[in-house]
Amino acid sequence: MTAHATFRNEPALELRREPVRAQALRALAELRTKLPLRIGSASGAAWGADGAGGGGGGELRSHNPADPAELIAVAPAGTAADARAAVTRADAALTAWASLEASVRVRTLQRAAGLLRERRLELAALEVLEAGKPWPEADADVCEAIDFLEYYALGAAALAQGVALLQVPGERNTLRYHPRGVHAVIAPWNFPLAIPAGMVSAALVTGNTVVFKPAEQTPACGHALVQALHAAGVPEDAVVLLTGSDEPARELVAHPLVHGIAFTGSCAAGQHIIRAAAEPHPGQRHVKRVIAEMGGKNCIIVDADADLDDAVPAIVKSAFGFAGQKCSAAARVLVCEEIAEPLSERLAGAIAALRVGPAEDFASDLSAVIDAEAVTRIGAFLEGAEHAPRVQAQVPAGTDGHYVPPTMFVDLPSSSRIVREEVFGPVLSCERVTSVEAAVRIVQEGDFGLTGGLFTRSPRTIEYVSRLGIVGNLYVNREITGAMVGRQPFGGGRLSGTGPKAGGPDYLLSFVEARSVSENTVRHGLVI
Amino acid sequence: MDEVTLDERVQVWGSRLAAGLPSGGLRRPRAGAEQLMMRWLIGDPRLRAALFRFVDVRPACHSRSELVRHLSELLEEAGGRERFGAGEGPVDGEHSGVARRLARLTGRRALELPTAAAAALGVASMAHRFIAGEDAEAAAGELRSLWEHGRCVTLDLLGEATLTEGEGELYAERCTQTLRTLAQLGAAWQPAPMLDHDGLGPLPRANLSVKVSALTPHLRANAPRRALEAARERLLALLRLARELDAHLHVDMESLDTRESITELFLELLARDEFVAGPSAGIVLQAYLTDSEEQLERLLAWVEGNPRGAPFTVRLVKGAYWDHEVVLAAQHGWRTPVFTDRRACDRHYEHLTRRLLDARAGGLALRPAIASHNLRSLAHALAYADALRLEPEAVELQVLRGLGDDTAAAINACGRRVRVYCPVGDLVAGMAYLVRRLLENTSNDSFLAALGSGADLRLLLERP
Repeated sequence: MTAHATFRNEPALELRREPVRAQALRALAELRTKLPLRIGSASGAAWGADGAGGGGGGELRSHNPADPAELIAVAPAGTAADARAAVTRADAALTAWASLEASVRVRTLQRAAGLLRERRLELAALEVLEAGKPWPEADADVCEAIDFLEYYALGAAALAQGVALLQVPGERNTLRYHPRGVHAVIAPWNFPLAIPAGMVSAALVTGNTVVFKPAEQTPACGHALVQALHAAGVPEDAVVLLTGSDEPARELVAHPLVHGIAFTGSCAAGQHIIRAAAEPHPGQRHVKRVIAEMGGKNCIIVDADADLDDAVPAIVKSAFGFAGQKCSAAARVLVCEEIAEPLSERLAGAIAALRVGPAEDFASDLSAVIDAEAVTRIGAFLEGAEHAPRVQAQVPAGTDGHYVPPTMFVDLPSSSRIVREEVFGPVLSCERVTSVEAAVRIVQEGDFGLTGGLFTRSPRTIEYVSRLGIVGNLYVNREITGAMVGRQPFGGGRLSGTGPKAGGPDYLLSFVEARSVSENTVRHGLVI
Repeated sequence: MDEVTLDERVQVWGSRLAAGLPSGGLRRPRAGAEQLMMRWLIGDPRLRAALFRFVDVRPACHSRSELVRHLSELLEEAGGRERFGAGEGPVDGEHSGVARRLARLTGRRALELPTAAAAALGVASMAHRFIAGEDAEAAAGELRSLWEHGRCVTLDLLGEATLTEGEGELYAERCTQTLRTLAQLGAAWQPAPMLDHDGLGPLPRANLSVKVSALTPHLRANAPRRALEAARERLLALLRLARELDAHLHVDMESLDTRESITELFLELLARDEFVAGPSAGIVLQAYLTDSEEQLERLLAWVEGNPRGAPFTVRLVKGAYWDHEVVLAAQHGWRTPVFTDRRACDRHYEHLTRRLLDARAGGLALRPAIASHNLRSLAHALAYADALRLEPEAVELQVLRGLGDDTAAAINACGRRVRVYCPVGDLVAGMAYLVRRLLENTSNDSFLAALGSGADLRLLLERP
């Protein structure tokens, strides 16, 4: 796919410059004047007087995690009936969308990228408020959404050329990639624009139609994506927004007209989807394909020769950026015993210096977690380890924000839940190991294999760990979050997901089916 | 003055400085081994990378076998040992033959111990060229000797990055101790008119360069005010101590990410009433930043708007974080904030020099300090100062210990004031510094490298 050679990542906002920060804050203030945002229903019905969607499921509301009293958006709580209606619409739109020239779809997606680009500040502000995502990360998410649209557009253009096959005299062999059908996209709230943009655009640009269900915590971000796609020229029914929580999602997975499911979220939900999608339904004449990106319990290995000046800030950023609410976040540090003491000491000091506060404040290192349920869930992990010594930073007092203190435990027993399970919050476990080899074994024995880190200054150690392929994304001597489209194709193995890697050269192949044609070109003994 | 006349004066000054270089300047034979090493390093980027990475990891090696293991691995890599199988390694022409030969040597068992010792020793002696001692006390003899050779100093305290409050506190304590030691040491030095006074008054002998990023773990590029609150008390205490001891306090500039915090904080504190009479203080201007002229205008406006008893020093440097700035910008898709063309950067340096000297000539209580190893840049500053009829003491030239020793001797020979930037600290702490200096010294753009390799003086003094 040489087309990718022209791809460039969308430049991040240069927030270190004061005028850029001022612009961002103006966009946030401007957005606040429009709150709460009111999002229309999936079934196309206008907002009813009762404020509910067409399916009668009531409404769902999103709030600012740092100030739950601030209402961000109101959207219909979609029902199973809404989901069925959405699939019917997407199915009806399939033939027209699939039969367009690939180049038309490619240009449409590129236009949508342009529309997102025009609204960058506003969209980042929306993520700051609706997902509680700190500015640099909110902006990075908007950039990544744009990157996905552009990258997959280029990829689809290349895919439309087909692939060269072996040709022998008297035969003309061709291979084309065809869309598969209606896709259900079930997205998480932690990358509320980028992850759905990737899944939705990959399905659309290859000729499929989509029913997209954003996370219930971030309906407005999901809506903004669909708005841009429609405004760019994607037919209304080729991508249908379905807001809601579990009920419509279950219906989508089970629906016989759905051909593929692209999901990013928890491991439990992912495994449920894989099971449910395998079950054929009456009238279903195909096998559903599931692409699931699930959890992680990511380790950073610190070799005895590591430079702690580099390792400590990178670990802190990986573990506590966006309050650890990333599947790529660092959960465990596996440090060689020679430097375990100085590392945990310096980590503790660095954690104590973290500032927890509202995402909209540029001075906050980390923000509130997404909702009250997350506070309870993470709290249960911390209480479970109540006697273990820990290091914590302060959280803001006198606020209703969903704050959880960034916390590190040192040398917990390996039976501890904090060592074994995905916390999905600002909690780090620091454990000593006898060697890099021992650390590698710990990683290999884990359930997950998403991201991992290695700090070492030995070329041989880098080579040794790289060759083993113990995780989907290994980061050497840097933080382990922040994968960039086209630069660090993202996705893991074991229980972390099914693959293929998002933002990589193979991703689109999961949304198409290859069809080959072989034509006999011999007539009356002559090659025509 | 028109450019031609100025340039003629620059040539005259350039030749005088060159004539003042030890051993008559060009083609000065360095010690054989060092000369050979420098030649290898300049001509062999892969070997250069390997050796720098070795110097970098050296303090983390706790045994000789660790040391040898790292050295041979790095050399093997530079020598073209395949890392990820065929096709992904560098093409053969890029491999370093020297590194391959060295790798074979270090890989041989019999040679392990002597090689390790040599490697350890090499790094230590290299480090000693750049680092004056563990602390001010340990460097006392060196500082006195510099003073007796007509060179004043500013001390820089090397250390690990400050990631915690405790580390910030420790750095502040080291600063306090250093200021006190320097004040004591300086009191015993012989009078030296060129180093002790200029037209604006006495020059403190005790002179400390402080890194704000070492005072606090709260520097944030996107929130400059945060560091202000966090470092205010520590920097205030240092300013008060400097005032009490009649010492000079200089804040260093670091990467662009921290410029706003450092500038805001320092200027805010200095503008307080309690510091109207002192201490002597200064800041750094990095000419490689494309917006450095705006920054200079801001500083000059501040000096004008905040009359103080002690003049304000602006140290003009090219800037030492060039790679960092370029990489950061490329990875984020930002406009590169530094000049990418060496000649454009040198031109800008001269432009800023003139602006500084003009301001001084215009009567501002400003002490321009021209910090460079580029003879052309230094000659330009001296020529322009002459043209403005500034007294010889009005311009201070600055060099780095280790790298700029010859340049300092040349400046001495011309009877001008030179200040040597002297880092002190332990070997571990000094590594990042050492690597940075070595990289500069052996880069293609390095004036010293060009001078050392015997480039034509006329070309080196050409108008950029």
